[in-house]
Amino acid sequence: MTRVQKQTMHTDVLILGGGIAGLQSAVELSRMGLDSVVVERAPFPGGHVAHFACKATDRCQRCGACVLEDILQHVKSSSAVRVQVRTDVERIDRSAHGFSVSLFQRPLRIIPDICSECGKCEEVCPMPGALIRSPLDQALSIDESRCSFFRDRSCKACSEVCPEGAVDLHTGGEEIDLTARATIVAAGFKPFDASEKARFGHGIVPGVVTSLELDAVLRDGAGTCWPNGKEPRSIAFIQCVGSRDAAIGRNYCSRVCCANALRMAKLLKNRIRGLEVTLFYMDLQNFDRDYDKRIKEAEQEVALVRSIPAEIRKGQDRPVEIIYHGRNEERVTQAVDLVALSIGMSPPSIDFLQGLAVGSEGFVGEEGQGVHTNMDGVFVAGAARGPKSIEESLADAVRAAGEASSYLRKDIGGGSQ
Amino acid sequence: MKRRIPESVFLGREPLSKDHMNKVLVLGGDRLGREVTKRLEREGYDVILAEDSAECCEPREPGRAPVSMLSRVRGFVGGFTASFATPDGDRTERVGYVIAAQPARVSARHSRYGLTRTDRTPSLSDFEALLKTPERLPVRRQEWLHVAFLLGLEQESNPVVFSRVLWCIENLCSIRNTQPYVFTRHIKVAGAGLEERYRNCREKGALFFKFDGSGPVVVEEQDGPRLQFVEPMLGMEMELIPDLLIVDEDLEPPELTPLLEAVPTAILSEPFLQPDSPRFPGVETPKAGILAVGPARGVFDPDVVASDIESVVAALKKDRYWLDKAAPEVDPSKCTLCLTCIRLCPHGAITFRDAAEIDPDSCVRCGICAAECPMQAITFSSAEDVNIIEMIRDGVACMNTSPTIVAFLCSRSGAQAHEAWGHSLSPAFLTIVVRCAGTVDLSHILAAFRHGADAVLVGGCFRGNCASVYGNVLGEQRVEHARQYLTQAGIDASLVKFVSLAGNTPLRLLESLEELYAACRARG
Repeated sequence: MTRVQKQTMHTDVLILGGGIAGLQSAVELSRMGLDSVVVERAPFPGGHVAHFACKATDRCQRCGACVLEDILQHVKSSSAVRVQVRTDVERIDRSAHGFSVSLFQRPLRIIPDICSECGKCEEVCPMPGALIRSPLDQALSIDESRCSFFRDRSCKACSEVCPEGAVDLHTGGEEIDLTARATIVAAGFKPFDASEKARFGHGIVPGVVTSLELDAVLRDGAGTCWPNGKEPRSIAFIQCVGSRDAAIGRNYCSRVCCANALRMAKLLKNRIRGLEVTLFYMDLQNFDRDYDKRIKEAEQEVALVRSIPAEIRKGQDRPVEIIYHGRNEERVTQAVDLVALSIGMSPPSIDFLQGLAVGSEGFVGEEGQGVHTNMDGVFVAGAARGPKSIEESLADAVRAAGEASSYLRKDIGGGSQ
Repeated sequence: MKRRIPESVFLGREPLSKDHMNKVLVLGGDRLGREVTKRLEREGYDVILAEDSAECCEPREPGRAPVSMLSRVRGFVGGFTASFATPDGDRTERVGYVIAAQPARVSARHSRYGLTRTDRTPSLSDFEALLKTPERLPVRRQEWLHVAFLLGLEQESNPVVFSRVLWCIENLCSIRNTQPYVFTRHIKVAGAGLEERYRNCREKGALFFKFDGSGPVVVEEQDGPRLQFVEPMLGMEMELIPDLLIVDEDLEPPELTPLLEAVPTAILSEPFLQPDSPRFPGVETPKAGILAVGPARGVFDPDVVASDIESVVAALKKDRYWLDKAAPEVDPSKCTLCLTCIRLCPHGAITFRDAAEIDPDSCVRCGICAAECPMQAITFSSAEDVNIIEMIRDGVACMNTSPTIVAFLCSRSGAQAHEAWGHSLSPAFLTIVVRCAGTVDLSHILAAFRHGADAVLVGGCFRGNCASVYGNVLGEQRVEHARQYLTQAGIDASLVKFVSLAGNTPLRLLESLEELYAACRARG
């Protein structure tokens, strides 16, 4: 891609990652009078949470996903926070005053101030998934990896149809030189790749989805992932897919999946009358303040099977068949309409920050060090530090922002002035 | 003429004074309270640390004499009056903030298992103490020492307790010829490093029995406790007579009575100070200036507790973003001191002298008081809120659609859902953003109809998700009230609707609006 323009920016804190931990860190820093630049790879901020559905039935289930909208409002209204979307970190070097950072911002392609979101481009685009909308405000953008213009320049349909001329296929990317005095790593988590556990049939058996896919579908309107387009009468959740699995070197609990599956089960039962929900699990982890009550409720509402299935395959009468070993090692087959794999959280890849220490599971930071890392002036917040719920990520962000601000003040106090 | 009410009749009355913003009262009892104190002192706050438990009184620097029981807190952020009962009589302190940072109450669960606390059946804490001097472990009757743990059988356990059990097992494994057993339901590994430690304990020979239904039957006999159970994996009946049977513990929030009385919504969240809601993710309670750290808000994980300490600093320094809007004002000539506003304010932001008086620093501008005041004595004067009724009148007047639907949308849910929808709504809808659904009152709904609207929708947060705790419930009740009123007036009540929404439920908003639209069209 052509590279044009060169911008220089200065900020107090560089925040790597525009998910809730990064955004909340930025908001907290702004309240302490510090400004920040949030660097986000995706075309819109919000990270994974931006795709989460509200789990409320007739009352709130305390998943916390709605808090993102609140945080974004603060971000928008704050002049101290700058969010750089579609931006990659190319390198970070130490400099006399902190960090010297090279960023590359891929062009926006659809200029938000001009676009009226009329959707004409979506109507003419031949490539599925090439035009994407932000789940937060429906702002349009182009996924270059799916757009045929960026493959072989064969199609310019969107640019031709756009009545406002908001589509810009030709501008090159922008190089940005940034200096920052401190860094917060808020790179979140990578969802476990379900195809690593081929026996669960994700991507092979229609009707097997990941918990993240189910969540996104519930947010955008239920129905689009139902096998054969029919509303399911039975759903099974498979817990610990890529968590607590020594066989693949993942010796940790992802902490949020029990809560998520049980909340999702409640929501689906509320939406679909007579829905049967089965949960395959090892141990139920606590969630909410009243965890004893929550788990006892779950035992009433959901069929609990303490076994992780041996195989999931295409079924005969129902779309999916689950084969598992029962209490006495007997082989049991259960047919269901839909299977949701509760995929675990993997550590993010941060290859641009040389020398940053990770713990035994690959998450940033070391045990007992909290939001501090082995590098002076580099802090870590949220799921980048280990699996965390939304609420815990928010708490972590406040902590990292506090530590970063203390560090910067010390910096000034001990300065040469 | 205004009635004069003797001051003694009302206990809640406190003058509004903000002269103690830099002074903080920390209620502690162990390390947590001291850490909060240290952290705040580093930020330059003047801290009083009150520790009410005798066992944790370490030597402290002069001027930090142990303060005893807090008996009452009154007032508002920046000017609380805290009363203490001390051995030398009562004393009061003026402080700007009160922070609950007491340790968890830990109680052994013997009674849940029908056991009594003895040397053979100690609590987890007893056993931890014993392990620190392993020579005090009982003399082995047989060659091996059998140690069994009862963990989370009757009531779910906490990862913090599980971590302590693992610590015991790790220590036991370093002593020769010991065999640990754990009887539990769910292994609580949702904490840093727990899964790995659990696996290591298993590899070193600890046996974990996980029960689905009924756990072991514990019989206390003369020669000690006897456990009878069906082994969950093999389905075989088994019996174990352990040398030691360790009983797990409950973790409960500390005793918070004086603060529960000071936070008006605590009656709904007892024994905690905070509602269990995503709107209170940090240490703040609905009452400005009263904060809950760690166990006081049901957080026991040491890593999250450490975040709470930083969250206290942030909360104290934070500019309250709503302060850019003026608080509602009370017209003293209209106020009859009925105290409705004081009783209903979820933030405990109102006091009174000759008339109700609103503390602008405690008020979050939810508008519940203004909507509830029977005398219409409370109004917002800031430009944005000037007059919902004017907005309805002007808005509906310039709409020439049929039907016309007015949607009042809470700024934290409905309005965000509208934004997330991203597209413009049909011109048949007039949206009015209100800070909280609790702001919308009967007069607003009736005004919409009077000015020509065909239907009204009030979109507030889901139950349990309101930043003003029950503003959404009040909003829904008023909609119900309006429906009754309209029915009496011969108007179809189904044209007024309350819908629970969240920022991430744009489709639900749209569906509700479309339903109302269709209902209007059907009526013609």
